[in-house]
Amino acid sequence: MKKYFAGIDSGSTMCKSVLFDGETILDINTVKTGWNPKLSSAESLGVLLERNNISKNDVYVSTTGYGREAVDFADYSFTEITCHAYGGIYLIPNIQGIIDIGGQDSKVIEIKNGKVVNFFMNDKCAAGTGRFLSMASETLDIDLKDIDAFSDLSDPVSINSMCTVFAESEIIGLLAMQSDRSKIMAGVLYSIAKKIQQQSSKLDFSEDMPLLMTGGLTISKALIDTIATTIGHEVITHKYALHAGAIGACICANKQLRK
Amino acid sequence: MNKNEVPSIFETFGDARKQGFIAVKNLKDQGKKVVGVFCTYSPVEIILAAGAVSVGICAFSDETIAEAEKVLPKNLCPLIKSSYGFAVTEKCPYMYFADLVVGETTCDGKKKMYELLSEIKNVHVMQLPQTQEDEVSKDLWYKEVLLLKDRIEKDFGITITDEDIKKAIRLKNEERKLLKEFYELSKSCPPPITGAEQLKVLYGSQFKFDIEQKNKELRDTIDKVKTDYANGIENVSNDAKRILITGCPLAGVTEKIVTAIEASGGVVVAYENCIGVKPADRLVDEEGDPYKALAERYLNIGCSVMTPNNKRMELITSLVKEFNVDGVVEMTLQACHTYNIETNTVRELLQKQDIPFITVETDYSTSDVAQLKTRMAAFIEMIS
Repeated sequence: MKKYFAGIDSGSTMCKSVLFDGETILDINTVKTGWNPKLSSAESLGVLLERNNISKNDVYVSTTGYGREAVDFADYSFTEITCHAYGGIYLIPNIQGIIDIGGQDSKVIEIKNGKVVNFFMNDKCAAGTGRFLSMASETLDIDLKDIDAFSDLSDPVSINSMCTVFAESEIIGLLAMQSDRSKIMAGVLYSIAKKIQQQSSKLDFSEDMPLLMTGGLTISKALIDTIATTIGHEVITHKYALHAGAIGACICANKQLRK
Repeated sequence: MNKNEVPSIFETFGDARKQGFIAVKNLKDQGKKVVGVFCTYSPVEIILAAGAVSVGICAFSDETIAEAEKVLPKNLCPLIKSSYGFAVTEKCPYMYFADLVVGETTCDGKKKMYELLSEIKNVHVMQLPQTQEDEVSKDLWYKEVLLLKDRIEKDFGITITDEDIKKAIRLKNEERKLLKEFYELSKSCPPPITGAEQLKVLYGSQFKFDIEQKNKELRDTIDKVKTDYANGIENVSNDAKRILITGCPLAGVTEKIVTAIEASGGVVVAYENCIGVKPADRLVDEEGDPYKALAERYLNIGCSVMTPNNKRMELITSLVKEFNVDGVVEMTLQACHTYNIETNTVRELLQKQDIPFITVETDYSTSDVAQLKTRMAAFIEMIS
């Protein structure tokens, strides 16, 4: 038996990794995925091992995320749905559902009795994902980290196009008509929230319990609040929310190992 | 229309396609008439009874979509665009050599496409009722079946006798019984064959034109699978999760769904699709008026173009039980309104039965293969 687990969530934009001893998170790391998911995963793992002075031989490597199949040095591999669910349960026991918005997909997961019972994930279109938000912020010339301060949520402009490409044209059109940028930005956040609502409304959540949001877009409190208002549920996040998938990968590997 | 020459672009084709063209050309050279059919609602017994060959011409590749989109809207089901594209580009041997193409007023996309297709092909459109229970619809469809017979007799200058049609019904029933016996082999746990192997036989059987020969081959295939299974040859793990596929016609590029399921610890045991259970699970009554019997049998197919579509719900319910299904995967094609809307009814149906369900909307590209793999793998992880 090895002593540690390394979970690597090789996402479309960021590669998140955690070091786990079966009970506690020892360390976390984040690097850009870049063009080579295998390379960035290896790099991220290397940093964790070196920083904690641990040999690779003492670690079970478990991967998830888009790049997981490229990581040929892993012992285990699970889908990001399962990993975000188990990572979420680890962070907030008894959580009934997860909203994960990543670089190129969004998903809502329903959990009952500690297991995934249903989930929705966007089809191949990128509407309502991180890509959509970064396209919009680029078009509006607003830095992603400034979205919260910038958005005027009191009076959002409605963005009708669910398609990322069409939405870009729509935003350019709105700018041409001299619409307020802060109101357009708020409209973009509402548009993402509506996409999440389409998925969450088909799932069976009890209204008096929160959902946990994970993934890269948890950086925006304004987005979390907008989603909460739109779907009618309290939405919480966690300091390890970005690493929920990588944590879940460790937990799934641990479960598999004990089978 | 009555051409027996290969198209001018023949030399640019790959070997498999050339062989397809040559096979159909040989049939035509023997004096056989070829009738292309689009849909499971086409009463092919009438074509058989006329001594002609019937062949499915729904297309399952994105190769000709760009060409089709010169005329058809982008936001249209890929099956319709692809099929029309193969007709205009002369790349499908069956469409190319078809003396007659039979369509039905199934979905809006197809029926409007047939108008355009009729400008380049000899098309006969049957008016399919949109509901199955009332007498007016039953009567309309019976008359449409008779009209198809008239059209084929007129176009091919022949007469279909009662004996001809009864023989065709018997042969086609025989084929249905064999196809059913074949796919029901997967009721075993584990199934003797993978879902990909099952689909290969079911889809391939559409392109064998001597029905008596085809029935012999099906018999042999069934016997071989049974013998291998009895001898302990296991192709599928006992732990594989048993999946029923439902939804739009699935073949060709959309087999990516089957691949994703079977690469993730699942096995497809049955297809509630047009290539699968739907064309085979009910027989034509061999007693009484053959055309009444045909009309009755064909109208009762449970496609989402029907309203309400209770037959599909009944079929899914019984397949889930008979095949001991762990989860249902629905595949819908982009812009297929009837199936996409009906998804909700299917979801509610399966929720009541506590059967896990996932639906995926896709098209004829391969750009979503990685994403489909994730979703199918997550679904299998969920039910494991």
